Amino acid sequence: MNRHFRSRRAVGIAAASALALTLTACGGNDAGRGGDAAEGAPSPGITDDSVTLGITTPLSGATAGPGTCTVAGIQAYFGAKNAEGGVEFGDGQTRTVEIEALDDGYDPQQAAANYDQLKNDVFAMTAGLGTPTNRAWRDAAIADEVPQVLIMTGDPLFSDTEQSPWQLGFVPIYQNEGEAFGELLAESGEEHKVAILSQNDDYGEGYVEGFKSAVEGADNIEIVEELTYEATDTSVDAQITELANSGADVFFNAMSITPLVISALQKAQQLNWLPSWFLPSNTSSPGAILQPGGAEAFPGIYSVSFAKAPQSPAFAEDEDVQAYLAALKEYGDYQDPPAFPHCQWSWMVGATLDQAFQEMTEPTRENFMEALRSIEGYQAPLMLEGTSVTTTEDNQPAVSTVNVQKYNGQGYDTVESFG
Amino acid sequence: MEKFVQLVVDGLSTGSVYAALALAIVLVHSATGLINFAQGGMAVLAAYFAWWLTNQGLPLIVAILLSIVFSFVLGAAVERWLMRRFERGDPDTAIVVTVGLLTLITGIAGWLWSYNNQQFESLFPLDTVSFLGVSVSVRSIGTTLVIVAAMILLQLLFVRTKLGLALRAVAINPQSAAFSGLPVGRLLMVGWGLAAVLGAVAGALVAPRLTLTPGMLDNALVYALAAVILGGLTSPFGVVIAAWLIGVLENLAAVYVPFIGFDLKVAVPFILIFVVLLVRPQGLFGRKTVVRV
Amino acid sequence: MASSSKTSGPAASASTSSAPSSSALSFKQRPWVRWGAPLLLLVGLAVLPLVMTESTNDTLARIGVFAVAVLGLNVVMGYTGQVSLGQIFFLGLGAYVTAYGVSQEWNIVLVFALTCLIPAVAGLVVALAAARLGGLAIAMVTVALPIVGVPLAKRLSDYTGGSQGLSARFVEAPEGSGLYDDQWQLYIVLVVGGIVFLLTSLLVRGKYGRAFAIVKGNENVASSMGISPYRYKVLAFTIASLIGGVSGFLYMVVVQYTSPETMSFGHSIELLVAMVIGGAGSIVGSILGGAFYVVVPDITNAIDPSLTALLQGALLLAVLFVLPGGLVSLPRAVMRGLRRSTAGRGSAAPPTTPSPTAGSGSATENPETERQGHV
Repeated sequence: MNRHFRSRRAVGIAAASALALTLTACGGNDAGRGGDAAEGAPSPGITDDSVTLGITTPLSGATAGPGTCTVAGIQAYFGAKNAEGGVEFGDGQTRTVEIEALDDGYDPQQAAANYDQLKNDVFAMTAGLGTPTNRAWRDAAIADEVPQVLIMTGDPLFSDTEQSPWQLGFVPIYQNEGEAFGELLAESGEEHKVAILSQNDDYGEGYVEGFKSAVEGADNIEIVEELTYEATDTSVDAQITELANSGADVFFNAMSITPLVISALQKAQQLNWLPSWFLPSNTSSPGAILQPGGAEAFPGIYSVSFAKAPQSPAFAEDEDVQAYLAALKEYGDYQDPPAFPHCQWSWMVGATLDQAFQEMTEPTRENFMEALRSIEGYQAPLMLEGTSVTTTEDNQPAVSTVNVQKYNGQGYDTVESFG
Repeated sequence: MEKFVQLVVDGLSTGSVYAALALAIVLVHSATGLINFAQGGMAVLAAYFAWWLTNQGLPLIVAILLSIVFSFVLGAAVERWLMRRFERGDPDTAIVVTVGLLTLITGIAGWLWSYNNQQFESLFPLDTVSFLGVSVSVRSIGTTLVIVAAMILLQLLFVRTKLGLALRAVAINPQSAAFSGLPVGRLLMVGWGLAAVLGAVAGALVAPRLTLTPGMLDNALVYALAAVILGGLTSPFGVVIAAWLIGVLENLAAVYVPFIGFDLKVAVPFILIFVVLLVRPQGLFGRKTVVRV
Repeated sequence: MASSSKTSGPAASASTSSAPSSSALSFKQRPWVRWGAPLLLLVGLAVLPLVMTESTNDTLARIGVFAVAVLGLNVVMGYTGQVSLGQIFFLGLGAYVTAYGVSQEWNIVLVFALTCLIPAVAGLVVALAAARLGGLAIAMVTVALPIVGVPLAKRLSDYTGGSQGLSARFVEAPEGSGLYDDQWQLYIVLVVGGIVFLLTSLLVRGKYGRAFAIVKGNENVASSMGISPYRYKVLAFTIASLIGGVSGFLYMVVVQYTSPETMSFGHSIELLVAMVIGGAGSIVGSILGGAFYVVVPDITNAIDPSLTALLQGALLLAVLFVLPGGLVSLPRAVMRGLRRSTAGRGSAAPPTTPSPTAGSGSATENPETERQGHV
């Protein structure tokens, strides 16, 4: 509450007259709103023994499922760290990490308001889900020089170092994921007919764009039919019916709505259309989607991932996974195994921030951004072999490498070739 | 041709989801003259209750029956302790109260059971029946049959029973209903309770297909309302037909009308409403009511 | 919140066309009150942005945005009795027009004019069709606007930026004014919003407002009085759309970003909620509604961000349970409560149904029977 010393002065003479007041306010201008600190002085939201991070993310409404996860994962990570005493920063101080999360209900206007509310109290904004909700205050974050980092959107704008100096995406941009599968398919050398169903927004478009760029020029790949759906649809039966008629043997399904993926899997089986199937990283959970969808009926379900799936038996004994699930319960207030990978991702965001904190030599936002942008080949907990966090590449999010995986009836195996 | 028929069948199956919710909305409207935005929310709450019971080890059918009882009590209680205060007031206020109720119920479901997706077991198997080259799941057939049965029961309730007549009398004019000795308050509670029961059935039917989440029926609500208006607010039969019509026409327009496509198919029910209501202001099957001056 | 109570006092005197209590009337008729109060209000509003903190200014500006949107909804719904569930579409349309115009570097005055004109024309076209219907049918046709508007905005991505939306930071405090951006933004909202409120309150208190009220009361009576319900419904809807467009302009001034999510159906319902909570058919109610729309999510976030839906629902029900006539009826409810407590305990039982006087503005009509007549 010390940020508006200028206004205090003005209050004192509010009764005088409007004119005098205007003058006072002008005079007060030099003090600066939000208080530009001197070089090296601590930024807001950080003291010698604690640092506060802000999140605005949907905690109610249609996207509350993944949104809740984006908070739970990071809360679990730092909850466990705080219980051990805190994180040791590069400047020698050990700080506990506090999370201040606000609900935006996926409303850009509310997200911007949440940002306004948090910006002077938190050291950095992080982990929030959504393209429009992050875009709504991107310009403001740049103007205020507030970090907006490791956020959950594959919108390439946030990883454009020049246009977004205070931003950094966490998850691979949508194009990368689509491209990875496209390459695998093109390299197979076999003839394939591809049907595409994508969400009608930047998410779906990004996947399709990446896929198409990878199969461009590959003579063996033919895209026979391309349809879209709306995120608010209750059913995609008609789309599946039409795509089934296309005779495609590969189905590129860029879908982010869990129930719709399940019903798409079921519908295709009813129509006896059994193509090889591609699913994005956020809707390929073995336990929450593939099993209820009866995915073993298909010759192959492919997905891309960089995180270990906790429900997969292959990782049941994995130390990372066990530590993660235990912390999620204890500190993340998340009782059953999440249906969304965003919980894992958010946990990794915590680990990546931890990494940056260890390299920070000054408690300032500038120094933090420098430290964050110098991580190379960091294998965060829960990360799959062959993937890593690398922030030094221009125009790429923190995670830009993904493994293509194939469903084995229970979990996933990393694959090098299609078929 | 096969594709065409398959699209029609798909549309009927999607339309059945809308119809299930729409029937409950019609029942409340017939009994109280209100549009209840929270109808879907109450259905979701019932579905969560049933899901929770199955997790406690109860068989699915018992869980659903218990959730039906729970819903009747919930519906009646909502009428008695919440809606009654608003029933004779401004109808806009009453609608907003149901919106608030929807928000509250969604919040309660999210609070008690989290926003995580939950799998709801289906009453009907997911086996496929193929007929003349058209495939349809037993689940869809089962859902549709239950909805048709509910529709017939509701139609009979309104037309053939004393209870139905009394409910309608209360809705049309509570004061004269009271003067003629009807227990208005209790009838209103029964109306809301029955609608909630219908909602509970709808919730249990569609939850396996939509995956149980607190906002499960939010997207279906608009379609259900469209079906209610299109079918004519007074006719259970008309509302189900309208819901099917919407489901089918939407699919056909998306596939066969290039300009509409899958992104703008949502406009179809509204265009339909507009055209139909211009010709028949009371809806497809609604009764004409006399405007009092 | 101090500010909204400050603004509500004098503005209330401007809007209470419907039966204020006699003692209040005599108070308000005193000349020094009649002239002093608006003057005080004006000075207060002029000073306000300078003395408030940045976050308060932001909040006040957002309240202004949605107060204007709710005011538009009030014109068609609160005053004319036509249920519109499409108001957010016009806000979104106005925001898109503004964002597009700014991105093309058109003159800001031209942009503003287009932000009024395009939504008004769109509203007129819709109304010409929709006003032929009545009651809930008109609600269903208007609900289509945001529902179709969202995919339409995505399809017109050349103009709208698709689902990634459009940013436009075009409101910066002019050099030499010595103002901060948040102060400048709030001034724009206050001036533009103030003009809209002034014009609207003149409209609804004048000849047109009386015609609206008659149409709301009973269309057959209106027809018999030579007032064409159709024409007045179209007029009200067009004005509401225009005001919605202006709120979209202000939205861009304050939020500086728009996307299809801006006009999603849920927000349209929230505007309806805000209108009823504030007080239907009331100018002050529109401001209170805007405040409710903006402040409640902030409050629930402050209490527990993971329970926002639950808290918002509970708060909404609690407010309407106590004040079925909306927040604007609070002073009357308090007065009534005081009078009752002084009158003795005999009549202490609270009414189970809202008394007609709480219906704010619609007191003399009986919309219930009218609505059913259509259905």
